[in-house]
Amino acid sequence: MTNINKFNTHIISKPFTYHQPETVEEAVNLLHKQSEVKILAGGTDLIPKMKQRLFNPKHIINLKKIPSLKGIKETERGIWIGATTKLRDIEKSKLVKEKIPLQYQCVKTIGSVQIRNMGTLGGNVCNASPAADGALGLIALNATIHITGINGERDVAVEDFFRGPGESVLGKDELVTGFTVPAPEEATGFHFISIGRMALDISTISVAVTVTLREGEVSDSRICLGSVAPVPLRLKKVEGYLMGKELRVDVITEAAERVSAGIKPIDDLRASAEYRREAAKGLMMEALYMAKRKAEAN
Amino acid sequence: MSKQSFTVLGKDTQRQDGTAKVTGREKYSSDLVLPNMLHARILKSPYPHARITSIDVSKVNTDVVTTLVPEEIPDIVFCPRLVSVPSSTYKDWKVLSDKPRYVGEAVAAVAAETEEEAQTALEKITVEYDQYSAVFDAKESMKEGAFPIHTEIELADEVIKVDNNIACSLDVEEGDTEKGFLECDHIIEHTYRTNRRYHTQMETKSVLVRPEADGGVTVWSTTQTLHNTRILLHEVFGIPMGKIRVIKVPLGGSFGSSIQVNPPTLIAVALALKAQRPVRLSYTREEDLHAHCSYQMIFNLKLGAMADGTLHAGHLDAWLDIGGHQIQAYPLLGCVVGWWVSLYKLSHKSYHGKAVYTNKVPSCAFRGYGNPQITWVVETMMDELAHKVGMDPVDFRLKNYIGEGDLFWGQGPSVKSIIESCGVEEILTTGAQLSGWYDRPKAENQTGRFRTGIGMGRGYHTSSAGAPVPGSVVDFGGAMLKLNEDGTFDYVSALMDHGGGTMDANAKIIAEEMNVPHYMVNIVDADTGTTVYDVCTHASRGIYSGGGAALKVAGQVKEKIRQAAARSLDAYSHALRFKWSEKQQQAIVYAPGIEGSQITLKDLANEMRYKNLGTIAAIDSYRQPSCPPHFTGYFVEVEIDTWSGQVRLVKVIAGADIGTVINPKLAMGQIHGGFSQGWSMTVNEDTPYDIESGDLLNHGFMADYKIPTPLDMPDLEAFHVFFADTYEPTGPFGAKGIGEGALNPVAGAIANAIQNAIGAQFFELPITKDKILAALREKEE
Repeated sequence: MTNINKFNTHIISKPFTYHQPETVEEAVNLLHKQSEVKILAGGTDLIPKMKQRLFNPKHIINLKKIPSLKGIKETERGIWIGATTKLRDIEKSKLVKEKIPLQYQCVKTIGSVQIRNMGTLGGNVCNASPAADGALGLIALNATIHITGINGERDVAVEDFFRGPGESVLGKDELVTGFTVPAPEEATGFHFISIGRMALDISTISVAVTVTLREGEVSDSRICLGSVAPVPLRLKKVEGYLMGKELRVDVITEAAERVSAGIKPIDDLRASAEYRREAAKGLMMEALYMAKRKAEAN
Repeated sequence: MSKQSFTVLGKDTQRQDGTAKVTGREKYSSDLVLPNMLHARILKSPYPHARITSIDVSKVNTDVVTTLVPEEIPDIVFCPRLVSVPSSTYKDWKVLSDKPRYVGEAVAAVAAETEEEAQTALEKITVEYDQYSAVFDAKESMKEGAFPIHTEIELADEVIKVDNNIACSLDVEEGDTEKGFLECDHIIEHTYRTNRRYHTQMETKSVLVRPEADGGVTVWSTTQTLHNTRILLHEVFGIPMGKIRVIKVPLGGSFGSSIQVNPPTLIAVALALKAQRPVRLSYTREEDLHAHCSYQMIFNLKLGAMADGTLHAGHLDAWLDIGGHQIQAYPLLGCVVGWWVSLYKLSHKSYHGKAVYTNKVPSCAFRGYGNPQITWVVETMMDELAHKVGMDPVDFRLKNYIGEGDLFWGQGPSVKSIIESCGVEEILTTGAQLSGWYDRPKAENQTGRFRTGIGMGRGYHTSSAGAPVPGSVVDFGGAMLKLNEDGTFDYVSALMDHGGGTMDANAKIIAEEMNVPHYMVNIVDADTGTTVYDVCTHASRGIYSGGGAALKVAGQVKEKIRQAAARSLDAYSHALRFKWSEKQQQAIVYAPGIEGSQITLKDLANEMRYKNLGTIAAIDSYRQPSCPPHFTGYFVEVEIDTWSGQVRLVKVIAGADIGTVINPKLAMGQIHGGFSQGWSMTVNEDTPYDIESGDLLNHGFMADYKIPTPLDMPDLEAFHVFFADTYEPTGPFGAKGIGEGALNPVAGAIANAIQNAIGAQFFELPITKDKILAALREKEE
């Protein structure tokens, strides 16, 4: 139970030591050396949680002074986005809008402009919320997370990153440095939709899909949903169903029914589980129609 | 009275506080700092219903921290709202409670050098509680066996007993309802339940208190009433009133949540008196969400009409969930019936109202004071009844509305007056025309994913609570006006501007009377010592009542100027005229046709100064003779996504009869704001409880209390506002209010639009997308 007297959102009640490394190596060493550490990127999730005393770290490591963690660039493997790149910078990036427009769509409705000016993609993902729309796009686009730890670097598929609400595969002395998003194949369509109580809200439910068509039939697809499970969810069974099919009305309707049956949402203040199951159907139909249209245009 | 042409009124002018507000230089209570100031925190009950058995502050270092527990405060039971006469004012509050009745009720407090130290000290206080069973629903609370929330309370200084958790009740009957229903051809009856909304005013409740050497206190607080704050502090702490100064501070919004004196003010005064140092207490947003909300109401409404569409009989049962304490439950019971019976003519009507305690945050006025709740119910049922009678809903309303010449008692059975201006017909006919009303879609003709609907709702609110004779509501105000030595005027009043531009409107009324531009009238900061009594800035009375007082003293000052100028110019005072000289930037008093017989106000004021003749000034109180309704109507077009249950606003047509419009843009702003709140009331807001912990399900966090932003509103081009061409004979230059009328009919209009689109009726607010989707699925099956 939240103790009503144990938090005061005017202040951060518990003292902590503030660290400001300038290289990834320094940051990783600090992570290794210290315990009860929290990483500060944009702070839009961390600071409210500290004020609410949900997190009471002894050490804060600010990543904002590490230049190599920031930026958006094209590489051989795709579009690289640094972990501390502001959501607003991703939204405004021409490269992102042209090459991976789904990620643009997912990012531009996160929070408000003010929040996107502070929040980072790394933060959105590492916070490991099942409602993280930034993560949803990355999963649908088959993106990779780059991780640096005390023992070196490793890559993890974004879809394998999450373990549960607030939990990921990230080790104690590991740091997410960035993401690589492969540019989608030709004839790939995509769509993202989210529903909130009001425009500025955490998603009550969200959907991101990509569909690749070959001679009018689905040759590849990724179907991802937010806020319907403990982690951002990819529905491989529905993808399997779509494989090799034309996206006709009956196929789309059946896929939407299967999505609805394949999720295990919960009741919360944002909506009932029943609502999420119903809305998932409609969202999926719209997403598939839109993705199909875009795939045919590409 | 005929219409007049105006030079200042009706034109958009810049607010005097505009620059400070948009540049961030305006200072609110929570911004204020004094040397040697302490920071206060309150210890809140974590239980919804309990008695404190012990409070241990021994772990707190009291050398550096001031602590405060219930027994250190005068044992006075009070009501924090002082707007009604004693026989209508039920008292059940103490500054700190030893029997908390909701999660969040203050049971102790601390003040320390910093907010951090205060927080640390707070966590060292140990409180032992005996927990009682709690109840979170008004109907449940009245049941046999529910644990009593209050056993004894006070009314007019008499102790009275509370039975079945019923805080107070009111029954009213006019005509013979039973007989009336027998005569009706069509009768409808339903039960409705509203939501419980948080005000979400920008500024949380805050106060700064300085103890004075003479035993008094100076107070800067978030309040809608300087004078009632002073009276209550006098009642509770026994400080002579002359030693209590309550200073006007800009208010960061309120929406009715500071009609009553908010708990922080009393707690901070107690702390400051004990510490003998200035104390600031500013609620966090989470504390503020645990401090006030709107009244949740359950209604059972029965309406009957004749075959020709004449409304005939009505009966209303109302159960008001008031939370853990009474703020204004009894006056509200009167207003609920008043709002209801003053919408449409009913030959026979009866009402049973009950205000019921629950273990929830105390409810208080929220823009409309019960009017948005009952108007939603009535306007929803009016559509249904129109359908039954076989009339168009707009025509049905036009046949039955209460308008010019009719008796009106919106503010309850003790506040009656006759309506002298009414724009209902213009609002409804223009609105119908602009919205394409008579060609609106039909639910049964629509298939496909998106369905559109047009709905309308109308309503009103009183402008103040005035009447020709005294009732149970106190309502008068006052103003002071003086002529300065540069020809400008200083206007001083205890009125509070909540952000809507009330003070500027009144300065313009003075300017109009004085033939000067608005910028010649300065709005001067004030306090309880420099102003005469003003009851409270609420009930949409700022312009009608406050402006009435401003105009009254302006008239007196004008007459004194005439007298002084007559003496100076050797002319007859009644022959003198006033004009404005743009070149000299001065008002000139002159004798028409007589060359050289003129004087500027600047010269007149200085001449009087050099000759020791005094300052031209007037100060007076003003009681308005009526509380004229300002009428409003909305025609709303919505589009419903049957896949997601989401409602999108397509178009809004808003009509308002506010008499003379003083500041068109600010008046439109009120309508946009009122609509936005009503939109959210209809489809979004609520504060449900977790009955396990007894706390709000959102724990006070705004992440789970959403309100609309501009992104949720229709485009400005799709939001059309028009003002009816009316003039209120009893108002200052024909003006009425707008604040609350802007909200009252919105929920009815939107609910009717949803009903028009999908053919489903809803009896519970908010009509969330969950409920819409469920209703659509039910219809399919």
